[in-house]
Amino acid sequence: MPASNPLSRQAGPGAPPALFRPPSGRSTKERLIRSIFLACGLLAIVITLAAAGMLAGGSVPFFQRVSLGEFLAGLKWSPLHEPSSYGVLALIADTLVITGIALLVALPLGLLSAVFLSEYANFRLRQVVKPILEILAGVPTVVYGFFALRFVTPLLQRTFLPQLQFWNGLSAGLVMGIMILPLVASLSEDVLFAVPRGLREAAYALGATKFEVTARVVVPAAFSGIGAAFILAMSRAIGETMIVALAAGRTPAWPPNPTQPMLTLTTTIVNIATGDHEATAFIWSALFALGLLLFLTTLVLNVASHLIVRRFRQRYA
Amino acid sequence: MRPKWRKGRGTVFGALSVGALMVGLLALATMIAATVLQARRLTAMDATSQAGLALSLRSVEVPGREFVPYVVAAQVDPDSAAERAGLSRGDVLVGVGGSAVSRPDEVWDALGKLGPGSSTVSWIPKPEKLWGPLRAVVHPERPGELGVTLAAVPVGSPAERAGLRPGDALISVAGLPVTGTRQAWELVVGAVRQGPQVLTLVIERGRERQELAFDPIVQGEIPFQPELWRAWGRFLTRIGDPRYPERAGLLSALVGSLLVVGVMALFAFPLGVGAAVYLEEYASQNWFTEVLQVLIANLAGMPSAVVGIFGLEIFARSWGLGRSVFAGGLTLALLVLPMTIVAAREALRTVPRWVREAAASVGATPWQVIRFHVLPYALPGIFTGIILALARALGEAAPLLLLGAFLYVTYVPQSLLDSFTIVPLQIFDWATKPQDGFAELAAAAILVLIAMHLVLNSIAIVLRNRYQRRWA
Repeated sequence: MPASNPLSRQAGPGAPPALFRPPSGRSTKERLIRSIFLACGLLAIVITLAAAGMLAGGSVPFFQRVSLGEFLAGLKWSPLHEPSSYGVLALIADTLVITGIALLVALPLGLLSAVFLSEYANFRLRQVVKPILEILAGVPTVVYGFFALRFVTPLLQRTFLPQLQFWNGLSAGLVMGIMILPLVASLSEDVLFAVPRGLREAAYALGATKFEVTARVVVPAAFSGIGAAFILAMSRAIGETMIVALAAGRTPAWPPNPTQPMLTLTTTIVNIATGDHEATAFIWSALFALGLLLFLTTLVLNVASHLIVRRFRQRYA
Repeated sequence: MRPKWRKGRGTVFGALSVGALMVGLLALATMIAATVLQARRLTAMDATSQAGLALSLRSVEVPGREFVPYVVAAQVDPDSAAERAGLSRGDVLVGVGGSAVSRPDEVWDALGKLGPGSSTVSWIPKPEKLWGPLRAVVHPERPGELGVTLAAVPVGSPAERAGLRPGDALISVAGLPVTGTRQAWELVVGAVRQGPQVLTLVIERGRERQELAFDPIVQGEIPFQPELWRAWGRFLTRIGDPRYPERAGLLSALVGSLLVVGVMALFAFPLGVGAAVYLEEYASQNWFTEVLQVLIANLAGMPSAVVGIFGLEIFARSWGLGRSVFAGGLTLALLVLPMTIVAAREALRTVPRWVREAAASVGATPWQVIRFHVLPYALPGIFTGIILALARALGEAAPLLLLGAFLYVTYVPQSLLDSFTIVPLQIFDWATKPQDGFAELAAAAILVLIAMHLVLNSIAIVLRNRYQRRWA
């Protein structure tokens, strides 16, 4: 954020009187343009606040009927069958298991790729590989979902997991790991690359091998930044919808078992939103409660990641 | 002197890290290769449709063997090649070019192997053409039970060829007793699908029981024209019939995607660039801009499902826009707005301060500085960001799935208030359909989506490399 923009100072109230004062018609136009841009910025605020407000307001009726404890600690999610129950613990567990599988794939592979790109690859290779990673990161998630459902699950069933069900958390998690791999690699590479040269050179000067420099100096130095990348990847995995909606199935599993169909928070949201409910049905407020839960979870993760990266930057700036 | 193991360890680690990168790239390659392989069947599917056929999978219960699948001609177009060959709606296809077929996939695979030209197709005609109308009468042997007799045997039918006559009572087919009119035909289908082509039929004529050899199969020549590019052309330009994969098309989804993304671009890009210009060029650093930045960052990190809830509640319900193109565009705009702001800010930030100072020092007003000096330099960067945002929006499905966009619409949206579907949702719909042929459609649509994605990304990369200015 360039704080000291000379032009904005000029226009501000505390600015010294300008030597050259533009004709007044011109300054009206300037003010108008400025307020148009300000309005754009304000709209962004309004939208975010409206989103948060809508989620909070919409879930008020829900929490009037269902206590927070029942919501967070309840094991059974069956909003449509009497007696209805609204426990999300099983959904959270399923979400975390799938996210965990995804991270197990993405973290080692992503970190190693980042190490390779940052420490081993030459400039030209980086120039080629980074755009490919970007493209991979942008592949629509419905494509990954199709891949999980139609290729990974049958492949696993044919090879070493014949008991795997048609819908299952395992292949959704594995493919989600491939989906977030470029994100992890790209962010980790950024922080590894940002580790000052001086640290590496000092280690070399002490006789360390390339591996020792990488594993004992560069990666530990970038550790907090890598952690931030992991957290962001986790947030992405928790919020991912299409892969799980396609490949993970629509029934909650308790205890969580990745070879069985699993129901995540996002799939539950999809189920409610696409279901054929009356406009006044109570289930709509459950939609907001789930949305709020998801929003807050990812918000906390995103903010944490943001803060860690900022601290990392400050340390090596 | 370094010990050898220290060096070896480094080599292993280097190899590991190359391997890790390769896994990522291989995954992309595998995904595309597998999709291409799956989509390959589209040509044969189109060839059957062009010959006037739509296929459908059915099954018949056979005692002792549960369900035996068979493929039926669900539609035969009037005056098509299939009809001229003698096929009619309800006939059961059993062989194509010498290979036995039991499901639509196998018909298409057989055609794929045969290549263009006339193929011999064999089928079991539907009951009316196999042996004419059957009549249920009191069983000749066991009074109280139903028996099945032939009412009129059509000329040239397999029944006539086998020597059956009106009035004959069907007792058993291939050893299994006949108990109903439809069941008798299903026995034939089940028996043929399990092997022998010539069946033993026990009938009763007068009071006398006879055994007949019955060949229910009819053959005909149908010219099939598998044409790769035309098949794709038709797939992309027709709305099609959603019931039959060989007749489905992507047109309404493509138009829907373009309209929704167009509406989105109209709202998100001016707003996003405007907010970025305010933040970079006008705002001084205070609590207000700090709050603004935090909020934008949060908006950017919001899961797309939550964005979908917002679109559903605000645009579709509160504003009464329903599941329209307009509501979809606004919802997507919400999703790409923060991306646009971040990209535009980065682009604006690359323009060095002295450009602004130089312009201001010769008397340019803030707007003149932005309009004539900063924006022209930042524009390639902003466009790169916009194109990447477009690519993202084209592939985004979750918010619109929540908004309640239809999975398949049988028309092209005409106005912004029409309901719609988009390519990713169409893929979602096809991917979840268990019937033969729909996975192929999903794969074909995925190739279209990936092609769009690659084109947009390449444009962005070229733009970035060509116009990226290195300020000394």
